[in-house]
Amino acid sequence: MTKQKTTLNIHRIDCTGCKACAADYQADNLKHAIARLNGVSNIKVDDITGRVVVEFDNAKIILSKITDRLEKLGYHLM
Amino acid sequence: MNEHVQNTVLVVLIGVFALAGALVSGAPIVYAHEISVVLTLIAVALGYRIYLHGIRSLFHGGITAQLFATIAIFISVIAGLVLTSGVSVFGTAEAVGYLAASAIVVFIIQAGMTIEGYIIHRTRGALEKLIKMSPITARVRREGREIEVPIDDVKVGEIVLIKPGDKIPVDGQVLSGYSTVNQATITGESIPVKKKAGDRTFAGTLNENGALELKVERIGDDTTLAHLIQLVEEAQEKKAPIQNIADRFTTYFLPIMAIVSTSVFLASYFTLGFEIALARTVTVLLVACPCALSIAVPVAVAGTIGNASMNAIIIKGGTHIEKLKDVNCVAFDKTGTLTAGKPKVVEVKTFGKYSEADVVKYAAIAEKFSEHPLSMAVLDKATEMHLDIDDPKNFKTVPGRGVEAQYGNKSILIGRRMGEGAISKEADGLLEQVESEGKTAIPVILDKQMIGVVVVADTVRENSLEAISRLKSIGVKTAMITGDNTQTAKSIAGQLGVDEYYAELLPEQKVEIIKKLKEGHVVAMVGDGVNDAPALANSDVGFAMGAAGSDVAVETADVALLGDDLTKVEYSISLSRKAFSKMKGNIVYAFIWNIIALSLAGFGVLTPVLAVVLAEAGCISVVVNSALLLLNKPKAFVKGSGKIA
Repeated sequence: MTKQKTTLNIHRIDCTGCKACAADYQADNLKHAIARLNGVSNIKVDDITGRVVVEFDNAKIILSKITDRLEKLGYHLM
Repeated sequence: MNEHVQNTVLVVLIGVFALAGALVSGAPIVYAHEISVVLTLIAVALGYRIYLHGIRSLFHGGITAQLFATIAIFISVIAGLVLTSGVSVFGTAEAVGYLAASAIVVFIIQAGMTIEGYIIHRTRGALEKLIKMSPITARVRREGREIEVPIDDVKVGEIVLIKPGDKIPVDGQVLSGYSTVNQATITGESIPVKKKAGDRTFAGTLNENGALELKVERIGDDTTLAHLIQLVEEAQEKKAPIQNIADRFTTYFLPIMAIVSTSVFLASYFTLGFEIALARTVTVLLVACPCALSIAVPVAVAGTIGNASMNAIIIKGGTHIEKLKDVNCVAFDKTGTLTAGKPKVVEVKTFGKYSEADVVKYAAIAEKFSEHPLSMAVLDKATEMHLDIDDPKNFKTVPGRGVEAQYGNKSILIGRRMGEGAISKEADGLLEQVESEGKTAIPVILDKQMIGVVVVADTVRENSLEAISRLKSIGVKTAMITGDNTQTAKSIAGQLGVDEYYAELLPEQKVEIIKKLKEGHVVAMVGDGVNDAPALANSDVGFAMGAAGSDVAVETADVALLGDDLTKVEYSISLSRKAFSKMKGNIVYAFIWNIIALSLAGFGVLTPVLAVVLAEAGCISVVVNSALLLLNKPKAFVKGSGKIA
């Protein structure tokens, strides 16, 4: 097991500023989608800064697979 | 602790402290007001999530409703502490009143956040259900022993053992065993499918009564189920074009709010004095709720796509929902889409003393070792009639003509051109007639005497007629396009009642037909997603049917029907129409709601507490209305209700 922790910056999720904000909602979707990948053990998404912190197991998944998934979900890396 | 629980705990704590504060203020104890103020302040402080969000958004270039709420609450608290009483700020009844209002505002906002968050989360429920279908462990055979291992440790090529009643953990190929598997998760069809050696199984499907040994082909993120989940996730993130309208509103919303609140403050300050001006400004800031506008569309999109996925339909994004709602012409491919794509014996005609069973039996004996699709149809019929079929003695296929075989001391000839001389004028007329209906007639000749005719045809699917009539009932024109000959096409088109048919088409000619139909119509094309890819790509909305297991079909289509149920075409269109009218309705409603609430606040009709109640009610009703799409259900298809004439 080779644990790794990486911080990715995505373009800020559009926060149009409601109370149960659309950004919270998107952050929630994104979190679930990434967390489900094999080998990802933890993910934190900050919907205001667009900072995504992913913890994953190097032996099971490569970083590019995670970034691919982010792009496919429509979040562009900075 | 997950977010929903944390939020709920906060709501409860805020409520408890605010209530305690109110009760204490009236209690006959020393420092009652002071204690009350402290308790109420704690309640306000517990709304920290709102303030954090609001303040942080300011530093990252966004002005949010949380920021407005934060400013409003801050103003009220300061007012409560400093402005209401000249000298002793702490511990007057007025201060308590001001602060109590703030605490109630915080309580309502936090409760609103929690409820909305929860409902929104529920729109993803459909997906969660799919995800839970996949088991987390598998029983594998390693070094001759059976062990149970976590699914992540299973390797491709290993052998997995499936017991009766188990959920299948991997995509694999059956090595041995025999069972039936319920594949409803993937195909939406709840009738179990038989599985024997060589057949493929999907992860997340349910093994019923037999044991199976599978060779693992795909695991984890690569399984069909995982791909479907990923597709749904991606689809839910894809914005519908109508979202742009909502986004445009929200972009202007916040700057406009800033101007409105400043004007309200200035106008009231010079006419009614500082205190009233402050109260009105606070109210205006609290009533502003772009939430309803910004969240209405994404929640409706997620609800629609989630609902569709529960019905084995994958709609690949908000754009397609908007296109689908306008569809007023659906073109179907024939073979394999409207029909089963597999010839079947539809009729057995007999001559002389022979029975149907005799005719089928002799035909089946002669064709026992042929692999021609027509022979398969005859053999299937024999199995269906429970006939024992002996082996023929000599067997010879004459290409383009038919089959010749010996059985005992009898000779059997199958096929029209084999039996010249044995076919009477009358029989010839019959054959002509059958073929004019687009069917294939197979004469069976025993010892130079025609004993009967087996009629074989591609049959329409059980639900095709229902699918066509449902489309007609919602005002959609139907068309059939096929590469097959005109006679067959005409016959099938007549049986199903499609409005138009186009036959004898090459793939590129199908594209031409689609283009022609598009003049004046929004056209959806339904095909198998592989052969029909060009026509699908040229239509406004391409439906691939039976797409489970075929990544190509799922990729090329705008909408993938995972199973074979064509009635889902009408359902997709109706669901999209409903979804779109909700999105539109929500935007209009939220807009009007905001204008009314703002006017009331600006003219001092609302108190801060009422303002926040109105704002939250607006938001929640929009969110709930959108999330309700998830509960939409298709009309049940009653088996056999689609009678074929």
